[in-house]
This record gives sequence, structure tokens and C-alpha cells, in this order.
Amino acid sequence: MTEIINQVFALDLKMKKQNNDSANRYLERIYHEFEAMGFQIVNPIGQTYRNEMTDVEANILGDLNRKSKITKVLKPVIYQIENNETRLLQKGIVIVE
Amino acid sequence: MKTINFAIDLGTTNSLIAKYDDGNIKIYNNPLGLKQTLPSCIAFRGNRTVIGDKALDYLEKDAENICMLFKRKMGTQDTYYVPSIEKEMSPIELSSLILKELKNFVNDEETMNSVVITIPASFDTIQSNATKKAGYMAGFKEVVLLQEPIAACLAFANTSNVEVTDKQNWIVYDFGGGTFDVALVEVNDRELRVTDNLGDNYLGGADFDNLIVEKLIVPFIEEKLSLINLWKDLKSKTTDFKGLYFELLKIAEEAKKELSHYEETEIELDIDINDENFYETFIIKREQFEDLISPKVEQTIIFIQDVIKNNQLLNSQIARVVLIGGSTYVPLIKKRISEAIEVEVNSSIDPTSAVVLGAAYYAGSKPATVTEVERVSDIVEEDTINFKLFYEQNTRDLEELITGKINAKEVRSFRIMRKDGGYDSGVKALDDGDFSEFVPLLEGRLNQFKIQLLNSALDVLKTLDSVAINQGSYNVQGQPLPNDICMEIDDLDASTTRLEKVFAKGSILPLKKKIYKTASKTILQQSKSNLIINIIEGNARGLPSSGLSIGYIEISGKDLEEDLIKGTDIEIELEVTESRDLKINVFLQACDQEFKNVFSESERAISIHKINMEINTVLGDVEALIKTNNSEENFEYSQQLETIRVGLIETQIATSLINDDDVSDAKFQLDDKKRKLIQRFDDLTRNKLIAKEIEEYNDSKESVEYQLNEEGNERFQEKYTRIIKNEREVINSGNKYLIRSKIKELDELYYSIIKSSDENFITYFYNLKFCTDFSDQRRADKLFKEGDKALEKKDYKSLRHIVYGLSALLPDQEKEKQKNFKDDSRTGLS
Repeated sequence: MTEIINQVFALDLKMKKQNNDSANRYLERIYHEFEAMGFQIVNPIGQTYRNEMTDVEANILGDLNRKSKITKVLKPVIYQIENNETRLLQKGIVIVE
Repeated sequence: MKTINFAIDLGTTNSLIAKYDDGNIKIYNNPLGLKQTLPSCIAFRGNRTVIGDKALDYLEKDAENICMLFKRKMGTQDTYYVPSIEKEMSPIELSSLILKELKNFVNDEETMNSVVITIPASFDTIQSNATKKAGYMAGFKEVVLLQEPIAACLAFANTSNVEVTDKQNWIVYDFGGGTFDVALVEVNDRELRVTDNLGDNYLGGADFDNLIVEKLIVPFIEEKLSLINLWKDLKSKTTDFKGLYFELLKIAEEAKKELSHYEETEIELDIDINDENFYETFIIKREQFEDLISPKVEQTIIFIQDVIKNNQLLNSQIARVVLIGGSTYVPLIKKRISEAIEVEVNSSIDPTSAVVLGAAYYAGSKPATVTEVERVSDIVEEDTINFKLFYEQNTRDLEELITGKINAKEVRSFRIMRKDGGYDSGVKALDDGDFSEFVPLLEGRLNQFKIQLLNSALDVLKTLDSVAINQGSYNVQGQPLPNDICMEIDDLDASTTRLEKVFAKGSILPLKKKIYKTASKTILQQSKSNLIINIIEGNARGLPSSGLSIGYIEISGKDLEEDLIKGTDIEIELEVTESRDLKINVFLQACDQEFKNVFSESERAISIHKINMEINTVLGDVEALIKTNNSEENFEYSQQLETIRVGLIETQIATSLINDDDVSDAKFQLDDKKRKLIQRFDDLTRNKLIAKEIEEYNDSKESVEYQLNEEGNERFQEKYTRIIKNEREVINSGNKYLIRSKIKELDELYYSIIKSSDENFITYFYNLKFCTDFSDQRRADKLFKEGDKALEKKDYKSLRHIVYGLSALLPDQEKEKQKNFKDDSRTGLS
């Protein structure tokens, strides 16, 4: 399942990059279905990166400091919710600058 | 006899922990990652110590405060000077920190006093003793060492049931991410012994990824963009190509994995170079990859040949080669070894966990000499730790502060972990006995935390397990909803409409949600049939007509640009603003049409037609109920119902006297009256209805349980347990639709149990004999005769088909019921 989510996420990024929002409705619907199945998908783009975030694998460029931000997300963070318990299913792969 | 059971693979780059439990091995996952492996890497950041994955973050920036690969220095006097804590750290101390972190993976209640730790075959006595010392420093009372190649052989032997009667020689080929080792192991009927080993500490799978980038991807980009020196520039610290090296390495790693399974793989480059997007794809064939890595693989083959030669053996005297280490997934390796040595090459065990797996088997057979005696003193110590915690339990922020005041001198540091694995503060020193830490929260969830209090040797003295922060559910500034907000939808099973909760009572405004439904009927263009979106404020468990309609949209055939086909998607977006405006946005996918409406409470939309329809539906129910209660001589109850009936008829007459476009408030008054009457009816009947549903639920449950006790039906037990798991919740919900759906699940299970055996159809057959309403009595009689014959012959298979035949002749009650569910009383949503 994580592979399917990753592919949809990649598709979403690609469409956004091309400023193409014609399929947004369908992508949103797919995300909604993922959520209904108990997956919480987090795109941490733009967030300040802290070393304490164990839900991402960071590739850090230059010096890591308080201002370091997540500038690119190669794979999203995926949590799975089962019986009201949340657990990390996939670490996000990000680039931090 | 108690055995050691726990085993640790203390690796150069990665470490693992496992437990032997009654013949099974459990390899523990890092609670903060998803992997079984813990990188053997530690970062010292002044008052904070980070162990594992996250320590790698500081590799570039702060290399002097990062310690890794210290296994290579075990048993030497070399130490690592860590500037940030102004301290020399010995390899033993560092290894003990890794061991302590691995202990954290294990949540079991039992204490770990004894452990098996693996060491490379090349370790001498001093190195081995150093490893033992690290184990004691980490709090183990007994440490047993085991050589890694032996562990790998044990893993292989225990998982593949090989019989060894005579003396044999095995080769263990260990090709990891960063190191390579080859060992010669002598195996006889009861013993394993490492006779020789060779290796290279700087040869590993990471070299393969680099080769793909350097020799395949970079030349491709250079050619397309007419660049030169890209490979050098990529790795330079002052590069213009920020992050590209990592991105390409990731792509290469994926390609390597793909090529282990497929003949070719497509490389997709979608990268930014010199501020311009570069998008290209190209194919790498397995052949190309193999040509690339072949020199490295040949290097490892030479090691094998050397180890065989050095021991005066011939290739033919080697019984098998066991492959371990992540790099051995590459097919070329297996192929080249079998060509070069001409022996059986086994890659059946998981190469990354083989060592810890084998070590755990060993631990499971080795008696522990230390018993648990010191538990009592531990407990006393724990109880002397006084602490106070302060934090917000409910918040809308994505970050919250947890503050702790610890009143115990022995506690020197703390560590906070989010239980879902998304956050770890690392070990941090207390500041004058206190700590304050901002923790990130996962949106819309109950975020649970575990806080550890540690002493100066970083041993855990106390774990606080009850900290939980609820994100997004409550905020004092916000305005809560006084009632549920629901949508009316069709309930095809019960041939009526029901409410589906959209926003729960108490949710904080503003609220927004998208709901996806399917059309439950076809609406042709220009037809009079319509789709109804009715948003209701009121108890979600009640009848739709008992709530207050706060938003109502009718979309009829006239409004459609194309036919709305049954089964297609309808997207409804609902938004309630802070000022309680309701916005409804309906999108019909089949017609590609959007309908937008905004309602505010002061301008309620009410349809006369709808009021009438609702009264009609309830009136039928009221009348039927009066009839049954009269016949049961329940006169008091039916008198109450009668009052409702009269009220409803009066309202109906009144509505027939006004037009839909009436501008006075008459229709609002009528709607209000209708609602009150229906609410009363609802209150009068709800408990009875629910009691009836619960009774039926218990009946269904009993029937299933009876069948489960029959021989041969045990396999259905698991499904049954799953169905009744949240039984209490469902029954207490007071929601008849929920209970009904449980009954349906139970009944379905019952039928699948029945259908699993032909003999179960005997009772069925007898029961059918009491039925009188067959659509074709002559055919039924004939089937009964055949059935009797089948019974005589004990031919239950035929009997089963006869029962099916008879059932088909009975009227389908569900279908009949649905036929009566008139089109104009439906919303068109299901």
C-alpha cells in the first residue's frame, strides 16, 4: 500500500510542478480514500527541520541549524491508524537546506 | 532451567536485538523507526546525546562530535575525543551506549540479565573481552560471546533442517553495506567451529550505488546538458548542485534493488540543475550494472579462493556457501560464487538478520547462570523519584511544551519519545533538575508520549507512560456545535432514509468536510425525479424528520446537463463557518456539474413537498404501531400514539393549504410542529426498537455460537471474535443502524458456517416443509420427494441443491420491501 501512496504523491507533485490543477479533485478523492483506510499522509514541505523528527530521513545540505528547512520531499511521511493507535508506517525522505 | 534467550548483533554499521521464545525468534523493531536495525552511530551535541538513525544527520556538519565505526577500534587504547562534551570516549563506552539503546527496543516486562553478543571471527582475546566489558557496562550481568559466522550457520541450519553427519566445511560470505568478511567454518554432527577468516573493512554495497551514479547517471546528464566535471562537482562541499548527490544516490539504490529482480530498470530523472528543470528517462540493463560491479565482486571471489587455499582445501571439499549481508541480494554475486567454487550457494536466509537470528537460537539453548535477585532494590529506588509534569492536554497548536520538575539527585537526564515513532528528543541533560521541551504533534490525533528519566550512566531509572496530548479537538476560544450535524441518506436495506453524522456535537467551529456518496437512483435529464441534499441539525440517532433542516438542496432532472446515472459518484463538501453559515457544494462526477449554496440560520430553506413526504412516511409507521398495540391491549401506549397521529394529520392538512412560494412564516411553523411531533414519536419508539434490535442481535449471536461449538467449525472462531470485538461499543451506541449492521455480519457468518458442510442442510430441509407460500407448489412437492430420497441415501450434496431450489421458490421479502420504497421518498444518496 505504501508504494501506491508514494506513486500518487509523486503524481501529485508532478501535476503541481506543471501548475496543472485539473486533476486535483481526483487526487483529493484518492487521499480521502487513503485516510478512510486509516492512513495519515503528511507532507512536511517547508517545515523547519529538527533532528528530533524521527519520522523523516533527512539528507542535509550544508550546516544544520535552527533555520534549516525541509525544501524537498521525495517520499511523504505515512502513519497508520489501527484501533485508534497511531504508528509510523513510512519515514518521509526529505532534503533539508 | 532458564536460558539466556536474548541476542544482540553488535555490528560495525548496524546492530540488532532478538529474543528466542519457545522455538520462535522475535527480532525487535526500533520503536522510533520502522527498521530492525539500529545504525551503530552516536552524536554528542553538548547536553544532548543522539543514538542511531538521527545521529547520522550531523555527519556533515559536526563530524568531530559523531562517533561511528568504533567496533573497528574495540580492544585498542584509541579513544574518541568528543569536543562538545570535552570528554574522551572509549570504544567500550560507545558500544555500551548502543547496547543500552537496543535494550530500549524490548518492551517485555522481564529484565534482561543475560545476553549473547556476536563478534567477528577476526576478534582476538582482547577485542572479545572489550566487547564483554561493554555488555557489563550496559547493565548485563552475564555476557556470552558468539562468532558471527557461527551465528549465520546456526541461522541457516535451524531454518532449513539440514542434516550433517560427517565433518563438513562451510564458507560464510558476509557482504554488508560497508564491510566484507569471509569465514571458513567446520561443521560436524554437533559442533561448529571457525577455522579461518579474511576480510576487507572498506568494501561494501554502498560502493555499488556510487558506481551507478558515477558511471551511468552522471555521464547521461553530462551528455544531455553538455556539462563537464559533474561527478566531482556533485561531491564538492561548495557545490552548486545542492542535494543532487543524495537524490541521485537514492535513485541509484532503488535501481540496484530493481535490478536484483528484473532484467532492466528505468531511471527517471526529474531534477533541477542550474535552476532549470531536467526531465529524462533511460534504461539500465542488468548486464550494464553487472559489468560495473564485476571488479568488486571478483575481489570478494579472490578472498574465498584464498581462504580455501590457505587451509589446504580443494573447492570440492566445501559443502556449501552461506550468503549473508544486504549486498548479497545482487544475483551476480550468487552466480559468480557458484561458477568459481562450483558448490551449492545458499541465499535462503534473510541476509540482514541472519546473524542475530542464529545468535538467538544459540541464546535459546544456553542456560543462564544469573537469576533475577536484584529486582527488589530496583523498585525501592524507583519509588524515591518524585516528579511533576506540566503540559496542555488539549491543543490546536502543532507543537506543545512539556515541562518536568524532577526531585531526585540520581536523575541526570531525560528523553521524550512520541509513541507513534515520529519524534525522539534524544537523551538530554536536566537543567537544575528541570526540563522543558517543545514536542511536535500529529494533526487531529491523540499524541501519546513516553518519558524516560536516566542516571549519569544513561541507565533508565523510571519511565513515565501516561502523557497524552490531544491535537485539534478542543479549543476554549472556539464555539462548539450544540447538536450533531447530519445528512439524510437512503437506507436501502430498511427501505427508508436515515441520518449520517457529518460533524459531531461539541466539535469546534469552523468545520469543513468532504463526503463521497454514490447515486442510489438514476435521474434522467428533464425528468421530474430529483436528488435531495438535506442537512439536518439534531440527534444523529433519531429519525431524519425529527431534526431541524438547516440546508436543503433539490437537484432535479431539469437542472442536469447530462443524465445522472445510478452508482456514479457524488461529492458533497460541507462547511460550517464560525458564524454558523452552512455552505454546501455538490459536485456530480457523471455530469461534471457543480452546485453551490450558502445557507445562514436566519434564512432557512424549507420545502412544503418535503414536509408532506416526511409526514406520510411517519404516519404509516404510527398507524401500524397503533394497530399492533391495540391488538396487544396496550391502550395507554396507543393513546399516546393516537395524539401524535392526529397532530400529524392536522399539520398535513395545514400544509396542503399553502403554496411552496409562500412568503409568510407559516411553513416554518408547520415544519417546527412536524419536527416536534416526530421527535415525540421517536422518543416513544426508539428504546423499544433498540431493545428489539439487541434481542435480535443476541439471537443471531447465539445461533453462531451454537454452530461454532460443532466439530470442524473452529476455523470460523477468529472471524467471530473479530465481529463481536467492539460489541459493547455498538450496543451502547443506541444506534439501531450500527446494531443492524452487526446482526447482518453475524448472519452472514452463520450462513457461511452452514454452507461449509452439506449435512447442515438437513435441518433446513425439514424447516422448509412447514412453508406454504411457494410460488410453484407442484414443483416444490416434486423437490420434497427428491429430497426425501436423497435423505434416505444420505446424499447430502444433492439435498443441498434441493434446498437451494426450494428456497428459490419462496418469495423474496427483501425485494418486495424495496419495491415499496418509493422513488419520491428517497434522497438519491446512499
